This record gives sequence, C-alpha cells and structure tokens, in this order.
Amino acid sequence: MKAGIALLLALIWLPLAGYVMFRPALGALAPYLLLPSIPAVILLYGIAVRSWRESRVAVFGVTLVCFWLLMAVTAPYLPLLDPNKPIAPFVAPGGIKHGVLFLLGSDMRGRDVLSRTLWGCQRVLVWGITATSVAYVVGAGFGLIAGYLGGWWDEFVSFAGNVLLSFPVMLLFILVLNLLGQSGFNIIIAVTCSSAPVIMRIVRGLALDARSRDYILAAQTRGEHPLWIMWVELLPNVRGPLIIDACLRLGYTTVAITTLTFLGLGLQPPDPDWGLMIKEAATAALLWKYSYMLIVPAVSVSSLILGFNLIADGTREMSLRD
Amino acid sequence: MRNLVVRRAIQMLLIMLTVSLLLFAIFDSDQFREKAAVAELGGFGIATLSADDYHEWLQKKGLNEPFLARYAQWLKAVAHGDLGRSVEKDVAVATLLKESLANTAILAFFVLLGLIPIALTLGVLAGMNEGSRLDRVISVAAVITTSIPQIATAVLLTVILALGLGWVPAKSAMTDGWSFRPLVLPLLTLLLYDIGYLVRMTRAAMTEVMASQYIRTAVLKGLPPWRVIMKHALRNALVVPVTLIFLELNGLLSQVVVVEVFFQYAGFGRMLFDAANFGDIQVLQAATLVAIAVAVVSQLLSDAAYTFLNPRVRFK
Amino acid sequence: MSPPAEHALLPKLRQQLERGVLSRREFIRFATLLGMAAGTAYAMAGVAAPVMAGGTLPFPAAEPGAKRGGKLRVGEMVARMEDPATYNWNEMANQTRPMLEYLTMVGADNVVRPMLMESWKASADLKVWTLTVRGGVMWHNGEELNAEHVAWNIRRWSDPALGSSNFGLSTFAALTELTGAKDPKGRALRRPLKNGVEVLDSHTLRLNLAQPVLSVAEDCGEFCTLVVHPSFKPPLSRNPIGTGPYTLTELRVGDRCILKRVEKTTDGRDFKYWGGEVYLDEIHFYHYEQDNQAAALASGSVDAIYELSVEQIELAQSIPGAKILSVETAQTLCCRMQVDVKPFNDIRVRRAVVKAADNPAIKKLVFGNHGTVASNFHVSPVHPEYFPLAPVVRDVAGAKQLLKEAGYEKGIDLNIVVGNNDGPWQQAACEALRDQVKEAGINLTVTVVPATKFWEIWTKVPFGATSWAHRPLGTMALAQAYRSGASWNESHFSDPEFDQALSDAEATIDVQARKAKMQKVEQILQDAAVVVQPMWRPVFILASSKVYGYKAHPARQMQLNKVWMG
Repeated sequence: MKAGIALLLALIWLPLAGYVMFRPALGALAPYLLLPSIPAVILLYGIAVRSWRESRVAVFGVTLVCFWLLMAVTAPYLPLLDPNKPIAPFVAPGGIKHGVLFLLGSDMRGRDVLSRTLWGCQRVLVWGITATSVAYVVGAGFGLIAGYLGGWWDEFVSFAGNVLLSFPVMLLFILVLNLLGQSGFNIIIAVTCSSAPVIMRIVRGLALDARSRDYILAAQTRGEHPLWIMWVELLPNVRGPLIIDACLRLGYTTVAITTLTFLGLGLQPPDPDWGLMIKEAATAALLWKYSYMLIVPAVSVSSLILGFNLIADGTREMSLRD
Repeated sequence: MRNLVVRRAIQMLLIMLTVSLLLFAIFDSDQFREKAAVAELGGFGIATLSADDYHEWLQKKGLNEPFLARYAQWLKAVAHGDLGRSVEKDVAVATLLKESLANTAILAFFVLLGLIPIALTLGVLAGMNEGSRLDRVISVAAVITTSIPQIATAVLLTVILALGLGWVPAKSAMTDGWSFRPLVLPLLTLLLYDIGYLVRMTRAAMTEVMASQYIRTAVLKGLPPWRVIMKHALRNALVVPVTLIFLELNGLLSQVVVVEVFFQYAGFGRMLFDAANFGDIQVLQAATLVAIAVAVVSQLLSDAAYTFLNPRVRFK
Repeated sequence: MSPPAEHALLPKLRQQLERGVLSRREFIRFATLLGMAAGTAYAMAGVAAPVMAGGTLPFPAAEPGAKRGGKLRVGEMVARMEDPATYNWNEMANQTRPMLEYLTMVGADNVVRPMLMESWKASADLKVWTLTVRGGVMWHNGEELNAEHVAWNIRRWSDPALGSSNFGLSTFAALTELTGAKDPKGRALRRPLKNGVEVLDSHTLRLNLAQPVLSVAEDCGEFCTLVVHPSFKPPLSRNPIGTGPYTLTELRVGDRCILKRVEKTTDGRDFKYWGGEVYLDEIHFYHYEQDNQAAALASGSVDAIYELSVEQIELAQSIPGAKILSVETAQTLCCRMQVDVKPFNDIRVRRAVVKAADNPAIKKLVFGNHGTVASNFHVSPVHPEYFPLAPVVRDVAGAKQLLKEAGYEKGIDLNIVVGNNDGPWQQAACEALRDQVKEAGINLTVTVVPATKFWEIWTKVPFGATSWAHRPLGTMALAQAYRSGASWNESHFSDPEFDQALSDAEATIDVQARKAKMQKVEQILQDAAVVVQPMWRPVFILASSKVYGYKAHPARQMQLNKVWMG
C-alpha cells in the first residue's frame, strides 16, 4: 500500500516537474509526458478519499487539491486557447470576440483568462510542492541529527536554525533571490532557508522525545547504525504531526510563491502564473467591470491553499479523535 | 525569570553578530559591486567606463575595501550608537528607522486594537458551542480568510473600497500628512488574515477546555453556564491565544512587507524591502538587528504571559 | 546683441525648401540645429509656429487666463538626486529640471530651442562650434552665469572617468582623443582633448571637436546635461544651486520631492528668473510606482503622472476629470543579436530571425493604432536624414530555407533576454516575436529579468531586447550602437564599410546628399540583420483636467515652467 502511494506520487510529480522545469529540453517527448499522470491523480484521489473518509473537512480539502493536480496534468490536453496568445483585450466573461468564446473573459492583453488560470496552476503546484519537499528533507535531516545525536551537534544546528529564523521571512526571500537570481530553483533554496529551521525544530523535539522509546533502544541493541535508526525507525514514528505541518506549510509556500511573483521577485513571466495574473490585474484592471481578471486567479489560488488547510484541519481532527 | 532574560539576551547578541557578519559577507561580492555601480551610473553610464576607471570608481565609493575592515568599522560605529547612513536615501539610518518604526507601530496598534476583541470573541463563541451552526459559520469563515493571500485581498479591497466606492484613497502614501482613512485598506488586509488565524487558535483552545473534566464537573454541579465560562473556562482557554498575540508582533514585521509595499505605506516593511532591493547595506543591517530584537523580545513576552496566565506553570 | 551670423548651409537649406526637396518639418529641424531661432525657422518654412513668448525665450507664450499660484502634485518614482551628469532615470532629471537647466531645450514638437545658451554657430565642416551663453541668467546664489561655468560643465561631461552616459553623446566623445592604449578587456582608452573647450569671453566659448558633429545643440539638451554650478559636489540634494525658477526644499527618496519658487538669492537679493513668469508656487513629486500612478490619480492623490502604460488606457478612460495625452517618439526596442556569438555569427540565422518576424503585426499587437512600424535599421521617420528603405516583408518560407542552409533543418532553439526597463510592452513585443518565429521552426524562449539585473548584463547577452531612448538625429543612435568598438555597441556589429559610410554621412551637411548617403548606411545595417526592431513607441501620460500646459514629451522630459492650475 505505502509503496503504491509512493509510486503514484512519483508518477504525478516526476512528469509534472519535468514538464514545467525542462519543457524546452524535452522536445518531442513533452506532449506525451503527462499522459500517465492523469490516471495516477484519479487513483490517488480515490485512495485519499478512502483514508480520510472519517473527516468531511479533509475530503473536501483533498478534492480541491486533487482538482488542481488534475488540471495541472491535463492542461496540455484540454481544448484551451494558447495561454500566451493575445487575441482580443478586455472581453467580459462569456463574451465572444473574433469568433472566439472567452468563458472567463480575456485580460488586458487579450489572453484567455480561463486557459491562463488552468495552465497557471502548474507552476505554483510544481514549485510549491518541490520547495516544501526539499525543505522537509533538509529540515528533517538536521532535526534528526540535532535531536538524536545531541551535544555539540544539537548546539550547532539549533544555533544555525535560530540565525535563519531571526531574519524576517520576506527579507530572507529577497536576499536569496537577489543574490542567486530569480528562478524557480532559487525559490526552492529561499523556501528551504525559511522553512527548514522550523521543521528542524519540530523534528528535533519529536526525536528527543522518541529517543528514549523502546523501539529505538531495541534497534540500538541490535547494533544498527544511528543514521539508519533515525531514518527508518524514528521518522515514520513521528509522522503524524509532520503531515499536519506539511499541509499547512504547502499553503504557506503557495502564498509565498504568488507573493514573490507579485513583488516581481519570483518566477519570471511570460508563462502564466497566478501571482503574475494578480499583479497584472492590479495594474490595469482596477475597475469593477474588469475585476474578473483579478477574481479568477485570486479564487484559484485561495482554493488551493484552502485545500491544503482543510487537509491539515481534518487530519488534526482525526488524530484528536483517536 | 531573570535567568531566562539573561540567557535570551546573550543568545540575541550572538545571533546579531552572526547575522550582521553574514549580511556583510553577502554584500561583498563582485556581483553586488556591479549592482551598486549600475544603481548609481545606470547601464548606459557604466558601459562608458574602461576597466581601470571602473575600479577607480569602486575605490572612490569605498566598495573595494576588504570586507573584514569594513565590518570592523561598522561594528565600532554601531558600538558608539552610530547606525550609519543610507546610500539610497542619503539620510541617517537612525532617523529612517525611527520614522518607519513609528509608522509600523501605528499600523500594528490598530491591527491589535481590532484583532484582539474580534478574534477572541468569535473564537470563544465558536469554541463554546462546538458543532453548533454559529461554530460552523465562524470556523468556515476563518479558514477561508486565512486561505486568501494578502496580495489578493489587497487588490480586491482597492477595487471595491477605493476605486469603486471612493471611500478611501487607493494608496497609503499619506502625502498630505497623517490621517486615518488611508490606513483603512492596509488595516483591513492585515486584519482579515490575522483574525481568521487567531479565531482558529482560540476556538481550538476553547473546545479543548470545554471538553476537560473540571468544566464538565462544574456544569454537572449545576452552575449557570455563563458563570462556568466566565470564571473557569475563559482563563484557561485564553492562555494560548494571548501568547500567540505576542508572537504575532513578530509575524507582523514580516507580513507588513507585502502590505506596506503594495499600499506604499512608509513603514518598516517597505524600508526593509527597498533596502534589500537596492543593497542599502547599512539600512539593512540596522533593520535586521531591530527585527531580531523584536523576535527575541516578543518571544520573551509570550513566555512571560504564558507563565503569568497558566496556573499550572505559575504554582510549580 | 547682434543676431549670430548664419551658417553657410542655411541659404542652401532655404533653396531646398523652396524647391520642395526638403519638407517643412525637415527644414525647421535642420535650421534650428544649425543655430537659426526656432521662430524664424518656422516662419521661413511658412508653417504657423507654436505661439512662443518672443525673443529668444524657449517657452510658449502665456495662455490667456493663466493663473499664478497653487501647487502641482506629480506622481512618479521619487529617486535620488546625486549627480546630474550620472543620472540614469528620467525621474531624477524631472525632479531636477525645475531647479537646474539645460543649455538647450528639445521641445515637445521635437525642435531644439535655446535655453541657457542663447545661440550657437557651427563652422562649415561642423568641427568648430561657437556657443553664446545667455546674458542675465542668475544663479540661486546671486552670481551671473558665464562662459567659464558652462565650459566647466562641458569639460566634466567629456571626462571618460566620470561614468556619465553623456560620454556616449557625439559632442562630448568628440572632445576626447584615443590614447593608443587599451584596457584589459580590449577597449581603446580615451583622454580629453587639450584645447577642446575654449572660453573666448565672458559669454562666448568655442568647442574644437575631433570629428564633425551635427548634433551639438541637441546633445546639450539630453537629459544628463543639466548645468550645475562649478562649486557642485554630489549629492545635489544637499547643496542645490541652480538657475531655474524653483529650488529643492525637501527630498525623501521613495517618498516625496518638494520644490518651491525661489524668491531670494542666498546672498539676500531678489531672485529674477530669466525665463519670465512662472505660475506654480510649488511642485510636489510624490512617490508612486509605475503600476500605481493611475490609481493614485484616480483617488485624487496627484494631479498628473509620469507615464501611463498602454494596458492602463482602458482604466484611465474611465477616470472622471482626467485627460490622456500622447506623443509619437523615436523610442524603440532593439531585439539585437551579437554577431560574434554562435549561432548568430552565421548571418543566415540572423536573416532567418528577421525574415520570420512580422514587424507591423508586433506593433499592432502591442500598441494598436498608436506608434509607428520600424524596419530594422534604427533610423526613424522623425529623423531628418531618414531614407525610406523598402519595408521589411515577412517571409517564413525564406526563413526556413535559410535555416536549412545554415544546418538547422530541424529548427533552432534561441533565447531572448528582456528587462522591461521601459515597461511590460517590451516583454509583450518579445512574446509576439516568439509566436511569429515559431512558424519558421525557431523555438524562441523569452527570459524576463528584473530591470536592474538587465542593466548588469545588457551588453553581455547573445540575444537581448534593449530599449533605446529617443534621439533627435538618426546618426546619433547609429554612431552609439553600431559603430565598431563604440561603448554601447551591444551587438558587437563591426563593419569597416558601415563605419566609413556613417562617418561620410555624419560629415555631409547637404541634406539631400546626406540622405543619399544614409541609404547606404541603412541598407548595410538592414542587410546585416543585426536587429529585429518592430516599432517606434508612443508615450502616454495622464493628467487631471485642472492642469494646464502639461504636455507629453517624446523623451519624457517634464517641462513645468509654464504649467498652471485652473
């Protein structure tokens, strides 16, 4: 079962990340890359609904997140207009201009808002999930080192974490992105710098707590290597609070990515991106009659974050009940 | 308590030293020097300089000095209370810092003024009657407002309140001196998110208390429900939210960056953003030190509040 | 003062005008360049001149009903005011212009008029220029402006070590010579000419240039050539001494810049402005980011804004009591390819890119009915020496064929870097280019970098889209951007034949002969396929209807001396 879920996740994430990060390099392969991910998302949704079925809140959250995942992997196959092609500016939602129907209207440069929104979720999802995962690997790694090994390791890692945490988050983002350049990969680094210390603290606390437990002592007497013990015995046993934190953190990261793009510091145009759509709307669409350009991406990004938040809430609720 | 304060103070100093050294190191690269030159001379201007003239220019601006020397100089000045001068704005950093902190403090004051009563009331009301319709409405509203990114709230509020209804100015630059109306949009943007967050925390704490043994006992004893809540439940339920409010002070420093930049409010966040983008190192140093101090002090306050409010800790 | 003697070419220009060889517009441009007063030139061309204040004053005549008093609030990015010679934002110059002034003023009609320099006269070979400084101009410290002051400024602008973009202007570059040495990067070093700037008497000076230069008057009105007092030490904001009617009273970068009318000189006398009546008591610049300026005007926080982007026109039209003003310019976007970097070192690749692009379609997409289509040789129809080459025609099949010959049958992947320093329209143009060249098998990706980052790399990227400012003469941009080894030669284009042809054109005074010579220059550049240059952009500004006399300027220079509030 666990291996199955891991496989599904890999089937979704690897092609999607490859598609978003390296599309030009993929060449002729690109159009087919995302095909296997579509059944994987549907299957994953089924499994998720089953395992969270006790919490209506969580099921709703899972539905929202899976909807965007599905949009991300199916966008290339849907009958959408080219998201970057200017056709006719300022067409109201449902309007037809030049023989083209704009279901959600067109933006100030004449691009279709619907297709920009659906394509836009790719970038946010891929960079958000990747950045959070990397932050988790780094944070959990250091947290285990600090918590399990203790002593000078603990002192050093904790101090380094405190140093990073003492920066206001935005400053950390701006510094990293200005220093290393503005790209998705550097957003990963920025998010890691700001999130990993928090994760490190949580994992460290859990590890300290778990260190004295029987199963660790048993492993130690079996003569297993500390690193092995940490990854294989400790981490799975402290995963409950981590899942909740991870969902919340996915939400924060999504906010961070859209905000950075909005401030002109994050992912660079021209590819569609929710933060960018909000930014462009903030320039040209400040009137009520054009506000669909703003509301559509705003609702989209909020619904994704809401999805992550609800999963976290539902999981917490379930863990309290147990 | 005194031990705790001393330990935190020492830790804070250590962190400040490390962070300032890090910042200096970051801004000591050739890349940064070129950025500074472009900021001052422009792309077309710098392209007219020969390699030698470029180096001479760097020398003249003091950008070529070894970084340890510059760091030592800066440390010495700071130890004498001189925070330096902003390269971009040509103002003493102390002045800049004082003004922007005052502006952000005003904003924070009004945020807390709105946040505390509204969020605590809603949170307690929801947590008191877990599962009721009121609880569900409040909980749903809270989780939704915490899910909307502040940039979206900010733009949407501008469209409706400023350009649509014309009630408040679109930007908070306050060019005609201080007034409350321009503060409305940033305030609402911050409140919408923060209220949702604090309501959820308060509600969680309240439901936990309501489910506890001693409240059940009190109710069983036949005490009127409002007395149970006022006398027993509230005090215990508010421990967590109150400590969170103090921590929120620190969170605000980060949140205000987006809001202040968008609404062009001349506060700490915008100063930080400008300085980081321009590479105004002295401003950045001072601002970061302030941020660290705020982080440590708010942590201390929150610990103190926890100790003070929580009977189990106090009587130990 | 006696009228300055006419330039030898003027009678000939008149003749050409009469024969119809020279258009009226061209005549006015050339005659004013060579020292004829704008009013005279307009009169001679038989065109109704804009109503001017009379005499040699560069300002329009007083409007009936113009009221004295009040303050103008302008929304723009409030920038530092360090050293006018190294200004790199238009906004910096806008904040300074009410206080410091230029030797000449390029008006909104693109005609150059005398300002601190009352008249100028060129020798027949355009190498010796005699400049007359206006009499009776008072500094804010009570001194009178004289030739020494002006010479001090011109020498400063010609200093290669200053890092001023003025050094890229023909006049000031022609006041230097090659030392013969090169720096480690292979750039030829220059030093100031010994006897370049000569002061003849209290109000006359002479420039002895190393090469013929036609654009002395226009170079002296470029945005970095604000005249400072010789006691100047940067930053300007701390010690502002100027000749303008206003002085700086408060500067808070990123917040506000306040200028007030000068009443008394610093030595206690009444200050008298040479340019006649000015109306506003105060000019306030308030900081609003480019994206926010229209919204700030809509909520009544400012009366006028620096620039309105083309996407904001819809928004601006629905703001009650606001008017949109616009002007056509010679500002442009050059998508230039470095001719010595693979794959652009193969001319077939460059030609394929150029052939696959559809310039009129790009212009239409980005600016609709505004702006002018350009044809890849960086000389605009507003330039007097413009020779109209046949417009470039899109030829996708031809582009494919060229790519095939160059060995890219399966298509080619290219990447263009754009900085949006002049606004998001640049990116829109690059995206349109991307969509067009795709049909020819060119996979173009558009990399957008932040504006500040772009200026760090603009001369280094193989394929980049650079915005070039308005320049009054066609030869100016060509000399700066395409002559072998020029500081701003971002494409590394180097062709001795082109250099020679350009020098010939620059030294040719006769307009018809010059135009004929420009044909060769333009043709070489167009054939070399160095740039895709889709359009000449328009400039839009927005002002409240209470503001009078506020005009859109092709180089976005704000001239507020005669603006008044109704």
